[in-house]
Amino acid sequence: MIDWRTRQTLVTGALGAVTVLFLAYQWLPMLTMALLSFTGPDGGPTFPMRGVSLHWYRELARVQMVDDFKPPMFRSLVLALACSVTTAALALAAAQAIRARFRGSNPFFYLVLLGIMAPGLLVGFGVAVVTRILGIPLAWYTTTFAVHVVWTLPFGFLTLLAAFNRFDVRLEEAALTLGANRWRAFWRVTFPLVLPGVIGAGLFGFTLSYDEFARSLFSTGSEQTLPLVIFAQFDRQLQPTLYAIGTVTTVVSLVTVALFSLLYRIVRQRTRTLANETT
Amino acid sequence: MSTLRARSPVSYLLALPAALWMLAALIVPTIFIVWVSFWATRTFSLASPLALINYAKFFSRSTYVKLLVDTVQQSLLLMAITLVLGYCIAYFIVVKVRRPQLQLWLFLLLVVPFWTSALIRTIAWIPFLGVTGVINQALLFLGVVDQPVSAFLYSLTGITLAQVSFYTLLATGPVAYTLRNVPPSLREAAQCLKATPLHVFWRITFPLTLPGVVIGQILVFLNVMADFATASAIGGNKYAFLGNLVILLYDSGQLPFASVIAVLLMLCMLGGVAVLLKMVDIRRLGVA
Amino acid sequence: MAEHDLELKHVTKRFGTFVAVNDLSLVVEPGQFICLLGPSGCGKTTTLRLIAGLEEADAGEIRIAGARVNATPPWQRDIAMMFQDFALFPHMTVERQVGFGLEMLKRRKDEIRRRVREILTTFEIAPLAARKPDTLSGGQRQRVALARALITEPRILLLDEPIGSLDFSLREAVMLELKDVQRRLGISFVWVTHDQNEAFSLGDRVVVMNHARIEQVGRPEEIFERPRTRFVATFVQGHNVLDGAVESVEGEQVRVRTPVGGFVVPARELPPPPPGTTVSFSVRAELLTERPGPEHGNRVRATCHAVEYLGSVRRYDLRLPDGRSVKYEQFAAAAARIAEGAEVTLGWRPDEGVLHLPADGRT
Repeated sequence: MIDWRTRQTLVTGALGAVTVLFLAYQWLPMLTMALLSFTGPDGGPTFPMRGVSLHWYRELARVQMVDDFKPPMFRSLVLALACSVTTAALALAAAQAIRARFRGSNPFFYLVLLGIMAPGLLVGFGVAVVTRILGIPLAWYTTTFAVHVVWTLPFGFLTLLAAFNRFDVRLEEAALTLGANRWRAFWRVTFPLVLPGVIGAGLFGFTLSYDEFARSLFSTGSEQTLPLVIFAQFDRQLQPTLYAIGTVTTVVSLVTVALFSLLYRIVRQRTRTLANETT
Repeated sequence: MSTLRARSPVSYLLALPAALWMLAALIVPTIFIVWVSFWATRTFSLASPLALINYAKFFSRSTYVKLLVDTVQQSLLLMAITLVLGYCIAYFIVVKVRRPQLQLWLFLLLVVPFWTSALIRTIAWIPFLGVTGVINQALLFLGVVDQPVSAFLYSLTGITLAQVSFYTLLATGPVAYTLRNVPPSLREAAQCLKATPLHVFWRITFPLTLPGVVIGQILVFLNVMADFATASAIGGNKYAFLGNLVILLYDSGQLPFASVIAVLLMLCMLGGVAVLLKMVDIRRLGVA
Repeated sequence: MAEHDLELKHVTKRFGTFVAVNDLSLVVEPGQFICLLGPSGCGKTTTLRLIAGLEEADAGEIRIAGARVNATPPWQRDIAMMFQDFALFPHMTVERQVGFGLEMLKRRKDEIRRRVREILTTFEIAPLAARKPDTLSGGQRQRVALARALITEPRILLLDEPIGSLDFSLREAVMLELKDVQRRLGISFVWVTHDQNEAFSLGDRVVVMNHARIEQVGRPEEIFERPRTRFVATFVQGHNVLDGAVESVEGEQVRVRTPVGGFVVPARELPPPPPGTTVSFSVRAELLTERPGPEHGNRVRATCHAVEYLGSVRRYDLRLPDGRSVKYEQFAAAAARIAEGAEVTLGWRPDEGVLHLPADGRT
């Protein structure tokens, strides 16, 4: 009979092993892709690597390639930015509205959450059908934009709901009793305190849109976004240039997440020091 | 009292943009899809009469029905795998890891891939699974096999392997969230009531995290049901699920039939979610 | 000779570099009500958790009913515990959770049902059997937690500040109820609190703790009338503490020189400290008088700073020449008031002071 303490240690060890192995499992493909993107000019899409070079990155930057990838990248970035701002604004309004518990706020809550549950395929297809029937032309800055926000809004909404949950209503009440009207109380007290949540919503809006593929598939016109172009290229042939652009775009995503997180922490630190100074 | 009076008209105004957006871009298209699925034509024609002919077409051919069954089967498989895997990971990070720093880093490592492109991650699996891929090279190197295993790429195994790496996070997150809300004093109280660690888990911890488990399962279910990119990238042309069929039909202009598939997909999903939701109330998670 | 219910022998527990419990030894006899009393961070809760088995001792021995339990996990120890927040299982009805312990002991279903019904009736919560914890009031929850703990008939019940989260008005009633239960059942209770009133009214013996050590163990009267260390005298309300140095020793009497004068303090059981030693002693507020007679050998001048009316008692805050505060309690019916700002001479009898154990370098 094994000692109970040994049993506990074994269980912890097993769970830890599973966790670490899974994390490796999840990250290895991406790391491998990044590694392979540095393969030599004779290298193919799989191992073994023939030398190490920046050849494929240079291929990316070549004039031909630039036409292939740079405009779509630009479009994706602009779209992501627009999505980010729209998500943050709509989510803030929706979360603030929910606080008032208006009639129909329950169905409203589920309506917004529906965006997470609805798979990209169906949403994209649905929009394709509608635009076809109504004769609306597809474009990355109209139809794709609409579909992206449907996906990102629920995430931003949940983030802001959590932020409002942590928020102390009494601070607002204090502002109101000190003579501020509701509008000013919101902008001077509430908004700065839930700003981290707004930034979080903006983060979701940006990254989820920038990487979004399935929804864009049906709703984008001839001017494609980056993931679509990557997919098209992938369909044609699998070359290390694809790994290069894949690595580049992943790095962009990671850097964005890091920047947003930094911004989030700075804002939270500032509001915390302000709160400490005033109490 | 807050900056918004209860039930004030301003709140309706604030909720309006989000509501309109979701209605226009989500609900209306769904209604249109349902309408188109009843068109009695093969291609696009606004003047189509309405009939169930395209539905009959779906159920009359066993290949189509098999596709539906295969898709549901794959979802159930992924649900089972991610349930166990996800719970183990969540339990380890939330309960077993003591230092908050380590917890944070593990959680970040788990979640950050969510913020990268799913497409890129799918593509990244190719060099892994192929005959000259990393897995085979490792197996050869370790001497486990003497010939590369071709059964990874362009196979159901490969698709499943890739899907597990994408969707486990969906199962882990909600479980981790509910696990965090179980106070350690509850576990300790059970221990002082003669409950062994196994009993503590099964009678106290697990039941209290059931909402998180169910939500995770719902998310995995929905994602796998509609997944087409993994199947097409890793399965090549040999494998398809319902999602791939929709795209195929759309590309060849057969909108009504594509809509039928889409509607059936939606029904399956709604059915599955309804069954799972009987077990939990989302709002009780303290989000709203 | 019956074995002790609980014995802690030189138990030490460290968390990293922090020593939470330092070389602690304690004995609990069957049927005793022990209170662990002390400020936050003194180690009383850690001690309780060591007894329960929720923490493992780094050194020393823990014995329950004579058997060494250091390596025994909580679910195999003959104890039960009541937590500060009650720790009721939110997903179980009252009936289910009260029966939980018996379920774990694999008793038969009909026996469990019977025992649960019995104990719910005893604690007058039978109507709540089908309710869930979130619908219960604080007092009701406390009873459910108690029933749940006692149904397994443990040898020792451990209680971690069990009435701290209750409304003030409820506390008194619950305290008396718990004392009554303990006396009826005859099992040992180990009760942790930072509230002196709780400890003194409930405990057969009180263990005063500070900084991971025991300062004093004794009956409430003993602790109150003879605080052993400076800490105990300052922690327990109603004592005035003075610091000084030993001037001379005459038999049992120790003469102490302080910044505000010289005083005579009996040494009693303590070995008389050599002259020059830094010592402290205390005298209780109610033993002072503002009209010292010839028998009140110890005298000191003080100025009245403030007065508190506490119903039957007037408590004065008087200031000594060196600025130190002295509390003096006067039964209001008796003497005349001391006016604010007035100067008085306070006195007490030479045998009424209590000498403390000299500090040995630890705070």
